[in-house]
Amino acid sequence: MRGATSAPRSLGWLLLPALLVLALFLGSVALLLFHAFWNKDGFSLVYFRQILERADYHDVFLRTVSIAAIVAVAAAVLAYPIAWLLWRLPRWRNLLLVIVLVPWLVSLVVRTYGWLVILGPKGFLNETLKWAGVIQSPLPLIFNDLGVVIGLTHVLMPFSVIATLSVLLQIDNRLEEASESLGAGGFETWRRVVLPLSLPGVFTGLSITFLTSMGAIVTPILLGGIRQKMAGTQIYQEVVYNFNMSKASAWAICLLLLSGLGLALLRAAEAALVPKADR
Amino acid sequence: MSRGSISIDGVGKAFGTATVLHEVNLSIEGGSFVTLLGPSGCGKTTLLRLIAGFLEPSRGTIAIDGAPMQGVPPRRRPLGMVFQNLALFPHLDVFENVAYGMRIRGTAASEIAARVSRFLGLVGLAGFERRRIGQLSGGQKQRVALARSLALEPAILLLDEPLSALDLQLRRQLQVELKSIQRQLATTFVFVTHDQEEATMLSDTIVVMEGGHVRQVGTPGEIYRRPASPFVARFVGDINMLDGRIEAVDATTVSVSVAGQAISVPRSAVVGAASAGRACQLACRPESVRLTTQAGTLSLEGRVSALHRLGPTVKAVLDTPLGPLTALSMADTPHVAELAEGKTAHLSVPYDTFTLFAST
Repeated sequence: MRGATSAPRSLGWLLLPALLVLALFLGSVALLLFHAFWNKDGFSLVYFRQILERADYHDVFLRTVSIAAIVAVAAAVLAYPIAWLLWRLPRWRNLLLVIVLVPWLVSLVVRTYGWLVILGPKGFLNETLKWAGVIQSPLPLIFNDLGVVIGLTHVLMPFSVIATLSVLLQIDNRLEEASESLGAGGFETWRRVVLPLSLPGVFTGLSITFLTSMGAIVTPILLGGIRQKMAGTQIYQEVVYNFNMSKASAWAICLLLLSGLGLALLRAAEAALVPKADR
Repeated sequence: MSRGSISIDGVGKAFGTATVLHEVNLSIEGGSFVTLLGPSGCGKTTLLRLIAGFLEPSRGTIAIDGAPMQGVPPRRRPLGMVFQNLALFPHLDVFENVAYGMRIRGTAASEIAARVSRFLGLVGLAGFERRRIGQLSGGQKQRVALARSLALEPAILLLDEPLSALDLQLRRQLQVELKSIQRQLATTFVFVTHDQEEATMLSDTIVVMEGGHVRQVGTPGEIYRRPASPFVARFVGDINMLDGRIEAVDATTVSVSVAGQAISVPRSAVVGAASAGRACQLACRPESVRLTTQAGTLSLEGRVSALHRLGPTVKAVLDTPLGPLTALSMADTPHVAELAEGKTAHLSVPYDTFTLFAST
């Protein structure tokens, strides 16, 4: 056996896979930048100009950001009570966590098709409402922005649940007892102690779901309207159907910048809302 | 009687099949400083949480100032609590931590400001209002926790080993302050600790607990001088324990033989029922073992097996015919200066300083 001091050198080859991944990543980014900024005459912003000058593309960006924001907020709002319940019921936590996560065992495409069965014009929901006499003609729940929001929220909500739960689990339950001994009821304790301390988890969830929604492709393709594209589907179309790598790359960079902007806004909101809780 | 009295009547607590508290009867006078003292797992924290209302008793009743507390949630009980880990709100500053209870009650802002500054002044933290909890030292956090629970002026303050995380010097200092604050406010303090020195120094009354039972209730002096059982005797301070047998009992004295030597102690020294032939334990405090010869005392010779000079006092362990005895003397008493390990010393124990525990 050789001494521990020689271990770093002899184990250096373990870095190889990581370096390979890094090289692949940096290569792809370089390729992306090359496609976006270079045409046959050299450096050019022509592809960006093409995108920024078209009003219908503005709509696509606006829709992407709006849908991502709505999905992030909806997922956070729906996930909070679930995370709270999981936190409150330690005995049931594992079982409930499995229930929250089990949809992930099914492929995204299959899960998304599931919504067709439920929300489609002849789907379960519309048929039930028609049978109950609430509506005469089917509600347009799908193949539009509403369908995309429902589908993405469903897919991404578990991220929000887990992000929120992980922060809730760090809260010392003596804090609640302290609050109670100072005269606070359950709701008051939640509002003044638990909620502020769990906000960092909520913001982590918002960031994850927002960013993932910004780049969504499958859900908008399957559940969205044909003319109501999102940035992801636009890039997909440029790559797969139009073979326009340059335009796709320019799109991707615009999307990246927009996502970064969104993330910066989220961080600013968090800094303003969440007092620094130093433990 | 001043407000803040607690009467605990036949209270027991079981978690499933595990009984952690058996039939506790305790009457706590308003305005007194009471310590629940015992080793870990003795049920002292459980009893505190029962008084606080975080637990409901399995049996018996707890009443505060005559009002039964059954089914009354903690927030409706007239008490404050200082937690072992302090449980300060990390997202609020010092001011807001202390103001918390008043905010819940909807106290007017001017009143809150006045009271926060009054109680921060009381605990010696004036000027720390806008500090974050994470910026405070252990002792300062301790003071904030105290101010936070006192700001609502509860009749009773429950303290669950709040000083256990602090270093000794700071601990001694805070004990003095705690006692003085308790005297100023005349609030009933119920203090949980496993440190007998802390209990002795702070309390008007000590409740010694063991294995879910209350073993003795009394002033620190009573508990030290007249422990009710060998357990209490050993737990509260150092003590010498000699195993023996009761030989004879008459009107004024009890004769005991220890390792073949006859010792007569007054009847008043007996705890339990003394009858001839019973095994017993004879206990005496180290400071009762004198390193001199004196008439009318138990006189022995012993070889010094260990010697610790502790500054003002000297602690010596002597091998005597009765077994090892620990003696504690002031360093300036005669003969003490000449003591050395291996040397033989004369020692004497006044008969009336013994406590005799008759076995049951």
